[in-house]
Amino acid sequence: MNMTVQDNPMPPGSPNTPSRELGKEYLEDIALKSRPVISIRFRLFLAFLVIFAFSMIVALWSIYALSGIQAKILFLEAAGDYLAEIQQARRFEKNFLLYGTNLEDSMQHLQTAEEILQKNKNTIEKILGRNSIRGMSLQLSNYHKVLEKVGEAGDTDERNRYEPELREYGGQLVSDATNFVEKEREAVEGALSLSRRVPFYFLGILMVLIIVITSFLVKNILSTLNRFLEYTNRIGEGDFSPILPKRKYRDEFSQLGLAFNHMIRELDKRHKILIESHKLRAVGTLVAGVAHELNNPLNNTMLTAGLLEEDFGRLPDEEKLDLVRDIIKETDRSKVIVRHLLDFARASEYKIVAMDLEKLLEGSIRLVHNRVKLAKIDLQIKLTPDLPPVHGDEQALQQVFINLILNAVDALPPKGKIAITDSKSSQGGFIEIKITDNGAGIPEHILPRIFDPFFTTKVKEKGTGLGLSVSQGIVRRLGGNITVESRVGMGTTFTVLLPTTEVPSSVSAAADS
Amino acid sequence: MNRNLRIMVIDDENIVGKRLKPALEKDGDIVEAFTDARKALERFSEQQFDIVVSDIRMDDIDGLEVLEQVLARSEKTKVIIITGYATVEVAQEALVKGAFDFIAKPFKPNDLRSIIDKAAKELDK
Ligand SMILES: Nc1ncnc2c1ncn2[C@@H]1O[C@H](COP(=O)(O)OP(=O)(O)OP(=O)(O)O)[C@@H](O)[C@H]1O
Ligand SMILES: [Mg+2]
Repeated sequence: MNMTVQDNPMPPGSPNTPSRELGKEYLEDIALKSRPVISIRFRLFLAFLVIFAFSMIVALWSIYALSGIQAKILFLEAAGDYLAEIQQARRFEKNFLLYGTNLEDSMQHLQTAEEILQKNKNTIEKILGRNSIRGMSLQLSNYHKVLEKVGEAGDTDERNRYEPELREYGGQLVSDATNFVEKEREAVEGALSLSRRVPFYFLGILMVLIIVITSFLVKNILSTLNRFLEYTNRIGEGDFSPILPKRKYRDEFSQLGLAFNHMIRELDKRHKILIESHKLRAVGTLVAGVAHELNNPLNNTMLTAGLLEEDFGRLPDEEKLDLVRDIIKETDRSKVIVRHLLDFARASEYKIVAMDLEKLLEGSIRLVHNRVKLAKIDLQIKLTPDLPPVHGDEQALQQVFINLILNAVDALPPKGKIAITDSKSSQGGFIEIKITDNGAGIPEHILPRIFDPFFTTKVKEKGTGLGLSVSQGIVRRLGGNITVESRVGMGTTFTVLLPTTEVPSSVSAAADS
Repeated sequence: MNRNLRIMVIDDENIVGKRLKPALEKDGDIVEAFTDARKALERFSEQQFDIVVSDIRMDDIDGLEVLEQVLARSEKTKVIIITGYATVEVAQEALVKGAFDFIAKPFKPNDLRSIIDKAAKELDK
C-alpha cells in the first residue's frame, strides 16, 4: 500500500507542499508538521516485529523443550539401568538365600547401581530433591551392609535372622527405583504431550495477535480515511476552512492533510474569483434594470429642460424656477440610483461589520426593484422589529439576497408573490431570513443539486448556475447557512441563517465545525 | 395650426404628463394626462382619443395591454409607445401589435411632436 508515499519519505520539517509560497508557512500547516512522526510504515513494521518476536519466542522455547526431552530420555535410560541393576542384585540375593549360590554377583550389581546413582546424582537431585537422593543412597548402603552381614554369616539360622531386614531394604529399594522410573517416564510423557500441544496454542495466540493488530491498524487507518472523506464532502460543499491535526502524531496522512490544505487554499482563491465574476454578472443583470430606472429621471429632466428651452422667453420667473427645481430633483434621483449600483459593483475585500437587517434587505430590494416590477411580481417584506444586527459584509450579503430574489423572480409567472420575512432562529445567536415564492417549486430529484456550481435549469443567457453556490459560499464563510424547502406546484422557501453580532467570533468557530 | 386632436398621455411618472400636457397643447390639441393606466382606459371608454401616448412599463397595466385595449375599442386611434430602453424586441412587439410608432426615453417634447405630426397626417388620410 501507499507506495508513492513510501518512495518519497519526507524528512521532517521540509516544505512538502509544492509551494510557490516559499518561505511562507501557513499556520494550519505548521500545526500539522510539528507533530512527532509515527509513520504508517513504522506502525506496520512494529506490528510485524511483534508477531516475529512472538514466533521467535515460541521457536526458542521449542528448541529448549526438545533438548530437555532428549536429556530426560537419556536419563530415563539410566534410571532403567539402575532399576535393572537393583533387580539383578535382588535376584542373586534370592538365589543365594535359596540355593546358596554366589553373593559376589549381587554385590557387583549393587556396586554398578551405586555408580549409576553417583553419576546421575545431580539430575536425580533436581528431579527428586536432595533428601530423596540421600535416602536412596542410604538405603543402598543399608542394603549393602545387610547383604555383607548375610554373606559373612556362618549358618542358615543366622542368615534367616537377617532375612526380614534384607527383604525390607531390598523391597524398599526396588519399589523406590520403580517409582522413580515411573515418575521419570511420566515426566517425559508430559513434556512430549506439552510440546505436541504447544504448536496449537501458538497458532491460536498468533491468530488472536494478528487479528488484534490488524484490526487496530485498520481501524486506525480507516478512521483517518473516513475523516478525509468527510473533508472532501465538506470542501465540496464550499467549506474552505483548513484541516487541523486531530492526532498527536504525524504520518503519511499528515502529508495528505498538507496537500489538502494546499488544495483548499487554491480552491478558496478560485472560489473568490468565482464570487467576484458572478457578482459582475449580477451587476450586468442589474444594469439592465437600472438603465430603465435611470431613464425615468433622465426623461423627466429632458422633458422639463426641453420645455424650459422652448418657452424660456415667455414663462414667468416663478414657473421657470419650478422647472429648474424639477430638473435638480430628477438629477438627484439619477445620482442615487447610480450610487446604489456602484456601491454594489465596487470590488472590495470582505468587511465584516454589524449590520442592520432592515437596511440590508431594503438595499438589496432596491437593487432588484426594477426586475421585480418588470416581471409584475408582488414582493412583500414583513420584518420583525428590534432584531439584533447580523454579522457580515454588506455587499456580499446584498449579493446573496439579490441572487435569491432573482431566482424567485425567474421561477414566478406574472402576478407571482415573493415574501421576505425575518425572525430569530430557534438556534440561538442566529437570525433566519426567509425568501418564499409561490412559483413552480423545485422537483425533488434536482433539489440536492441546486447548490452545485454551474447547475442551472435555465437557458444559457439567463443563468450560469453560480448564484446559489456563490451565495452559499458567502453565507458559510460568515458562519451561516442557506437551506431550501420546496414543493412542486406550491413554491419554494430559501432560508438564510446568519449569526448575530451577539456571538463573538462565531465566524471562525462555525467554520471549523 | 388648429388641429384639435384629442391626445391621451399615460405614464406613471407624474412629471411626464405634467410637462407634455402644456407642450402638446401649444399645437392646439386637447391633451389629457394620466398616471394610472386603468383610469386612462376607463376614460377612453367615455371619450374617443385620436392619439394615445403610453409608457410601456407601468405597475398595473403595461403599455402593450393599453395598446391592445385601445385598438380593440377604436381601430383608427394611433398609439405611440414610450419605451424605457430602446430594445429592438420590445419596439418590434409593439409595432407588430399595431402601435403607430415608438419613442425611446429620454426624449424632448419636440421629438414626440414630430411623431404626433406624422400620426396626424396619417389620421387626415
Ligand atoms: N426559487 C426557486 N424556485 C425554483 N427553482 C429555483 C429557485 N431558486 C433556484 N432554483 C433552481 O436552482 C437552479 C440553480 O440556481 P442558481 O441561482 O445557482 O443558478 P441560476 O439561477 O440558474 O443561474 P445564475 O444565478 O448564475 O444566473 C436554477 O437554475 C433553478 O432551477
Ligand atoms: Mg440564480
